[in-house]
Amino acid sequence: MTLQPLIEPGWVNAILPEVILSVAGMVMMLVGASPKLRQATAPLALIGFVIAAWSENLVRAGRFFGGTYEISGITRIFDITFLLAAMLATLFAREYLQRENIEGGEFYALLMWGTVGMMMMAKGLDLLIVILGLELLSICIFVLVGYHRRIPVSNEASLKYFLMGAFATGFILYGTALFYGATQSTNFADMSRFFATANPSDPLLTIAFVLLMSGLGFKLAVAPFHGWAPDVYQGAPSPVAGWLSVAPKAATLIAVIRLFAAMTPMLEHAVWIKMVAALSILSMVLGNAVAIAQRDLKRMLAYSGIAHVGYMLIALLTLRDESVAAIAVYTITYALMNIGAFGVVSMLEKNQNDPQTLDDIAGLGFRRPFYGLALTVCMFSLSGLPPTAGFIAKFYIFKTAVDSGHVTVALIGILTSIVSVYYYLRVVYFLYMKEQPEAEAVPMDRGIFATGALAISVIGIFVIGIFPTPLFEMAGAAARALLP
Amino acid sequence: MSNLLSWIIWLPIAVAVVLAFFPKDAVGAIKTTGLIASIATFGLSLLILNHFQEGVASFQLVESHSWIPQWGIRYALGVDGISLWLVLLTTLLTPVVFLSSWNAIHKHPKEYVIAFLIMEAAMIGVFVAIDILVFYVFFELTLLPMYLVIGVWGGANRIYAAIKFFLFTIAGSLLMLLGIIYLAFLRYHDLGRPDFSIVGLYGLSIPMTTQAILFGAFALAFAIKVPLFPLHTWLPDAHVEAPTGGSIILAGVMLKMGTYGFLRFCLPLFPDATAKYAKWMIALAVIGVIYGALVAWVQPDMKKLVAYSSVSHLGFCVLGIFALNQTAIEGSILQMVNHGLSTGALFLLVGVIYERRHTRLLADYGGLAAVMPVYATLFVIAVLSSVGLPGLNGFVGEFLILAGSFKTHPTATVIATSGVILAAIYLLWLVQRVFFGPVTNEENKSIPEIAWNEIAAMVPLIVLMVWIGVHPNTFLRKMSPSVQQLLTTVQKGGERGNVMVASRRVILSREDGEGSRRARPFAPLRVTR
Repeated sequence: MTLQPLIEPGWVNAILPEVILSVAGMVMMLVGASPKLRQATAPLALIGFVIAAWSENLVRAGRFFGGTYEISGITRIFDITFLLAAMLATLFAREYLQRENIEGGEFYALLMWGTVGMMMMAKGLDLLIVILGLELLSICIFVLVGYHRRIPVSNEASLKYFLMGAFATGFILYGTALFYGATQSTNFADMSRFFATANPSDPLLTIAFVLLMSGLGFKLAVAPFHGWAPDVYQGAPSPVAGWLSVAPKAATLIAVIRLFAAMTPMLEHAVWIKMVAALSILSMVLGNAVAIAQRDLKRMLAYSGIAHVGYMLIALLTLRDESVAAIAVYTITYALMNIGAFGVVSMLEKNQNDPQTLDDIAGLGFRRPFYGLALTVCMFSLSGLPPTAGFIAKFYIFKTAVDSGHVTVALIGILTSIVSVYYYLRVVYFLYMKEQPEAEAVPMDRGIFATGALAISVIGIFVIGIFPTPLFEMAGAAARALLP
Repeated sequence: MSNLLSWIIWLPIAVAVVLAFFPKDAVGAIKTTGLIASIATFGLSLLILNHFQEGVASFQLVESHSWIPQWGIRYALGVDGISLWLVLLTTLLTPVVFLSSWNAIHKHPKEYVIAFLIMEAAMIGVFVAIDILVFYVFFELTLLPMYLVIGVWGGANRIYAAIKFFLFTIAGSLLMLLGIIYLAFLRYHDLGRPDFSIVGLYGLSIPMTTQAILFGAFALAFAIKVPLFPLHTWLPDAHVEAPTGGSIILAGVMLKMGTYGFLRFCLPLFPDATAKYAKWMIALAVIGVIYGALVAWVQPDMKKLVAYSSVSHLGFCVLGIFALNQTAIEGSILQMVNHGLSTGALFLLVGVIYERRHTRLLADYGGLAAVMPVYATLFVIAVLSSVGLPGLNGFVGEFLILAGSFKTHPTATVIATSGVILAAIYLLWLVQRVFFGPVTNEENKSIPEIAWNEIAAMVPLIVLMVWIGVHPNTFLRKMSPSVQQLLTTVQKGGERGNVMVASRRVILSREDGEGSRRARPFAPLRVTR
């Protein structure tokens, strides 16, 4: 093993978005410290995210830091997904935080640093880089979930996520250590060379894989590692919950894709992939079945999120460029529709310590037509009905599954989708068919930022649903470059 | 206009989008805009007749644009003899709905008009799509507006009915989606590139077991939609709870999406499975005919009676389709249109007195002929059309179906024929109880006569009932070649069995729709990565 200099020329260029976001986060802290300037934090944060997104164009593709950090088409797509999620969260958070009187620069700073962590997870070619990014992300999440520090549910959620998250990290580290023991490397490229000739029945590898998948499964909130999700989403400030339900999952998925890609020749033959199939099926069944029983909107979305990760895992069962593209398309779609749905919940003006239930949105469709329509569009997109982006994304996943011969799993996916239609439809029922006198209705904060974010979600859902071609082209090219 | 079909689909949607920005209180302007838009759409759809060439079996007025090239999905539209009249039925019934509900909708009129316009566009899309995924998109798009129409403007138990309607349909159509994906997968292996065009899929040769499964997936979706016994239970609920306009569209057009689906997909795509399972489908259809009629007989509620009569009448359509011969299928298509006209008219008329008396129970009426003579006349004409009186449309359709299916399935036909007699019993009984005899109920003495807008809605329906009854050839002539080609496809499939040579079959190419044919060379099986 030869030692290479870790800092090559052009390294700043390689991590330009991360640098911009880190610096912008510090600026947020300074600006937020002044009560006069605090008003400006959210717009400044948005500018920071936009500059970071623009800097994606300046970044040169390639491998950096001794081959541990990769910039490519797929990392660009995932970076854009993270930035989109963070921007939507910022837009929804602005008026929410002001209303609750808890706005501060550190909120946006934490979103930015969390995004940096996710970017590291997406770009790391070494398990240790992935873990570094994951830890950076997790610390930001702990604080963001508990950001509404004066209400008990938020504190409870934060503590719950912290305790469970610590365990999950432990599993991931232990799994990584065992992998290192077996393969003598934490680098995906080296691991790939090892796995080309490895013995799949080696118990050490199996234990390592199970530990790693348990930890990553926690971050993905797949059943049976999902227990935290409903409680944490319920307690977290709604804009944070929306962001949390999407962005960290996307970051973990791309890390899982890299891990699976390294293990590919062996993965298909081992029982391991059957474990992943089991996780997927269990998530789809359990998530969709339990969501039916939820009256709390955030808990319902939490269980629906469990099911959605189940759908995404279907694509991982046979790793092809199509399936990677399908996951990229699904995550960006999921960002639009799920953050949009949480966004509407965040606009309900009520005591945040109380649950936000279906009754709170009763009659909204006719009382506030735009918000009703927006939530309807999000629900239909989540249930995968055309002409929304959710349909395109789900179709892509099922198409990939059928093309790879996983017809049974696809069938289970379809059957559970039928179940899911029931509870998504129930939201539409409350929106349009439940009468609610104006006086008793929960008021809506119709702030310009949140409304704008909702408009972005709705337009994005229709644009991807009706003209998916540009996104497919990007995702397809990126995925082909990712897999050899 | 070369993109006439697109115009017909997108005009109502464009108007619906514009209407969304109208102020809530401008009720008159909203209703007028909706009515004008739907009449304009109908006018445009009449232009199809102008351009439609008789004697051409394949799709006409074809438009094809690349939509999702990565998946080989094209935004492709076209009409043939099978879909032509269903498109016109859709565009005709939408203005009828707006006219009939002119004064009946007080709650959220804006959203009502928008829902119906989007529904119209989606239903037209279902009938003119010649790419299977485009078909699916429109098929699903019809659901949300109908769900809202039943759930928002419906009767007391509307929520249950709306959700039941949605869940039944979506269960079938999602399984069909998996079938579509699998079909496209087979086509990809056959052709070497992705392709979702319906005509392209017709050329597939599928092994028998796969055919049986796919046939099941598609037939389930369409059988729920028709609805075929025993999947019909959502229909009476939906009809009873839906507002009048919703019932007209539901019975008039939406049920036909099921029968149309059988003709467009099940028969030509899975000919072997069709041949094998036709007798079961016919058995279900005949059970539906008799069961629907018997249940209709005992209904105390007029709307429920008409709803069950739909189950019975649609049973005839399915019987005709799976009889698999020219006469029966032509009769079946004609009967789809007939049922749209006569049942649409019946729902409209039941709605008329419901608006005035807020009851639909037969027992509450009697002797209305004396109070509302014009209304009674119109009602009797609609009933006679539904019963199948010679000279009106119902007779022609039912006669063709029974004459055709007698050749292949005599026993089933004989049993089904009793459905015609039963229809006469329950419908004439309905007329007798509502219109004749003394006026027993004091409240009925002062019911206002049918209004101008309701008469205006009825007139085109009655004109067409007589036209089809007297001169059905106007309609049959245009559908014959397409039906003939459909049967050829089915028979060829039946003969060739599972032999792979079949993929050399001559098919219609996608790009040059105007009936030209070219041979497609055998595409080698390609293995994906």
